Amino acid sequence: MKEAFLLGNGAIALGLLEGGCQVVTSYPGTPSSEILPEVVRFVKSENLKTYTEWSTNEKVALDNAYAAAVSGKRAACCMKQVGLNVAADSLMSAAYMGTTGALVVVSCDDPGPHSSQTEQDTRLMARLAKVPVLDPSNPREAREMAKLALDLSQKFKIPVILRPGIRVCHARQNFSWESFSVGGKPAVFEKNPARWAATPRFRFLLHRELNEKLVQISKKFDRLRGVNEHNLTKNTKYPLGIVAGGVPYSVVKDLFTESRREDIPILKLGAPYPFPERLAKQFLRACKKVLVLEETDTVIEYFLRDRKKVLGRLSGHVPSEGELLPGVIARVINNVLEDLGIPPMAVSGNPEVQELVKNLNLPIRKPTLCPGCPHRASFFAIRKVQPKAIFTSDIGCYTLGLNLGGVDTCLDMGAGITMASGFYQAFAQDGVEQPIVATMGDSTFFHSGTAGLLNAVYNGARFILVLLDNDTTAMTGMQPTPALGIRADGSTGKAIPLERVVAGCGVDFIEVVDPYDIKAMTTLLKKAKAYVASPDGGIAVVIARHPCVIAYRDRAIPEKRPVTVTDDCDECGFCHQRFECPALYPDAEIGHTSVNKSICADCGVCTQICPKGAIVGA
Amino acid sequence: MKTINFVLSGLGGQGILFLTRVLAQCALDKGIPVLGAETHGMAQRGGSVVSHLRTGDVESSLVREGTAHFLLALEENEAYRNLAVLSEKGTLCVNASGNPFPKDSVRPYLEKMKIQSRALPVGKIALELNAPLAANSGLLGVFAALENTPFAKADIRATIARLSPKRFQDLNLKVFDACLEKTSAT
Ligand code: SF4
Ligand code: SF4
Repeated sequence: MKEAFLLGNGAIALGLLEGGCQVVTSYPGTPSSEILPEVVRFVKSENLKTYTEWSTNEKVALDNAYAAAVSGKRAACCMKQVGLNVAADSLMSAAYMGTTGALVVVSCDDPGPHSSQTEQDTRLMARLAKVPVLDPSNPREAREMAKLALDLSQKFKIPVILRPGIRVCHARQNFSWESFSVGGKPAVFEKNPARWAATPRFRFLLHRELNEKLVQISKKFDRLRGVNEHNLTKNTKYPLGIVAGGVPYSVVKDLFTESRREDIPILKLGAPYPFPERLAKQFLRACKKVLVLEETDTVIEYFLRDRKKVLGRLSGHVPSEGELLPGVIARVINNVLEDLGIPPMAVSGNPEVQELVKNLNLPIRKPTLCPGCPHRASFFAIRKVQPKAIFTSDIGCYTLGLNLGGVDTCLDMGAGITMASGFYQAFAQDGVEQPIVATMGDSTFFHSGTAGLLNAVYNGARFILVLLDNDTTAMTGMQPTPALGIRADGSTGKAIPLERVVAGCGVDFIEVVDPYDIKAMTTLLKKAKAYVASPDGGIAVVIARHPCVIAYRDRAIPEKRPVTVTDDCDECGFCHQRFECPALYPDAEIGHTSVNKSICADCGVCTQICPKGAIVGA
Repeated sequence: MKTINFVLSGLGGQGILFLTRVLAQCALDKGIPVLGAETHGMAQRGGSVVSHLRTGDVESSLVREGTAHFLLALEENEAYRNLAVLSEKGTLCVNASGNPFPKDSVRPYLEKMKIQSRALPVGKIALELNAPLAANSGLLGVFAALENTPFAKADIRATIARLSPKRFQDLNLKVFDACLEKTSAT
């Protein structure tokens, strides 16, 4: 027997492989990013043949896994909830066409949100696409549900979504397992154009088939012990029952164990769609009122149609945004209990502490670019050359260019470019030449930059695009990019230089610079600016290339250049506000800025930015 | 099995995950099941980072307000920020920068809740020992010196040694020992 203290994402990886998954694809995104690396780890340690890949985006990941699933294999693709938006087109169609093997779409939700642009609920996407969804309450259950999802998918020939919340993905729990192997059939694709290339007329038939599958699965979900179940005692009536799924279920369970409450029954819905109608009806019949606790939106609540009986978000009892933290759940339940005249749970905690902490006015800790981060130098140079530009940006560490005034918009993956061309056209229409500087990371560019760039070139937009090329997907934990040419399992793949892709999009101005050299970068940006404005100019692409200091400690700063601040510093605050390196701080003891040696990366970049020349090599 | 709740707080980059892993491993080595929650993503870039760790038979990973037995903070403000998690008679270990800890405005609350606090400038001690990244091991030293820790000092020390990357092992232990000794002495 083997043992490990696994991340929830590791438990999902383990479950997928134990369930015989032969193909796993993914695009990284918090909180899903660790699933694929954990799969790779198990593939190596258990000596499996499962194919793994970092795909260039979530749609690509889903399509690749889907092809395996219609070749009779068991496949999974993993992404974050907003990634599923990118893959939604594929998902909707795949639901109609079905599978011959299995396809599990792991889509990780981020209530809070902690690291996402929305709090959207993947279960609603499952409902929209008409595919079953499983909602684990902790890592242990996620492992079991990964296997269950594969089995369900294979049995009913339908894609199945596994929707772990961030508190499952980034929880850690101790696990043990026996050695296993991944068997499975060799690929067989049986041609059947009426299904695999169905025209609208056949789509109607496929839709009917899908609806029939859902009826069958709903019946199965009525009897899915351990996943969908209640703890009612026969012939008993209750003033209140709780319906909960996913992470909120585990919280309620612990709360009731801790406060020894056996008087309130729970209906657990770990498989909320297709909705287990019969089971829910049974539960509702036994309870006078039911309180629904689910994350993040209303799915179960919508299916429980009796608005007089059902309490939840629609009735205003449960907050409609933010995470259902244990404290929130305890308060919601106690409020309802009090409303109904039932004794509340005895929960510890002293309410006055919130007020006390609030009055301390603690500094908000904004995330910032790391000390030595090359993006900081890039944003500094951009602001210097184009102070009045609109700065469209994108998703990654560099969104934190916000703190340097270098990011005005961040819509979604790829919008750094598409919003730049949109702004250009909106202003150009009025005869206004609005300067625009777009920023985008290397991985984001491969994910969804090209279509937008092609469009911008084709339609004659003009702006500067700075590709922040740090040789990695930093924000999500340093996954390789196609430019690096290292594949998910660490083997060598073909490296595709950014320059070639940019040139292929029809861009004529492409230059590379090391942003650590701020002077060189500003000179190049001025040249780019002139090109954009010239009569036959267009889009200028500046590739700001320097490795991420976290991913490549040695390569990023091959020569340490420690710095110190002289008494010429008059504490003007320029380096804090405009350069914002966290290693530079106003030192009350000496009356001017100092370097925090414990976090300084010795990159030496700040020596180029102080207007008084007070930051010098040590 | 009695549940013990830990909350560990600090800033991204301070090594909270290592701290969490050491405590979890100490419990696992005693055969106690562990469930915890970590912070990944955006906040790891210097934002407030919190880890939760629960030992015993539990289903959910987050420690509810008012139920943490131990709060270990790598920074004073992060200790204050997470004060609400501590239960009555809970214990607070903090890396204090040199300011008196706790603040006067907080002291009455700690007294009323019978929360015991241990503050030591572990960051400074680590820096003096030329190990700026080992403040987390230092805080474990403060924790190990408590009378009410659930794990033996030697076990915590051995676990740090086992989980440290080779090149940091000696430094981590040096800082741990120094902070353990300084806390025991006070
Ligand atoms: S991880 Fe890399 S890219 Fe991200 S902020 Fe730090 S240095 Fe910059
Ligand atoms: S050398 Fe300057 S810019 Fe670089 S990390 Fe240190 S303080 Fe920050």
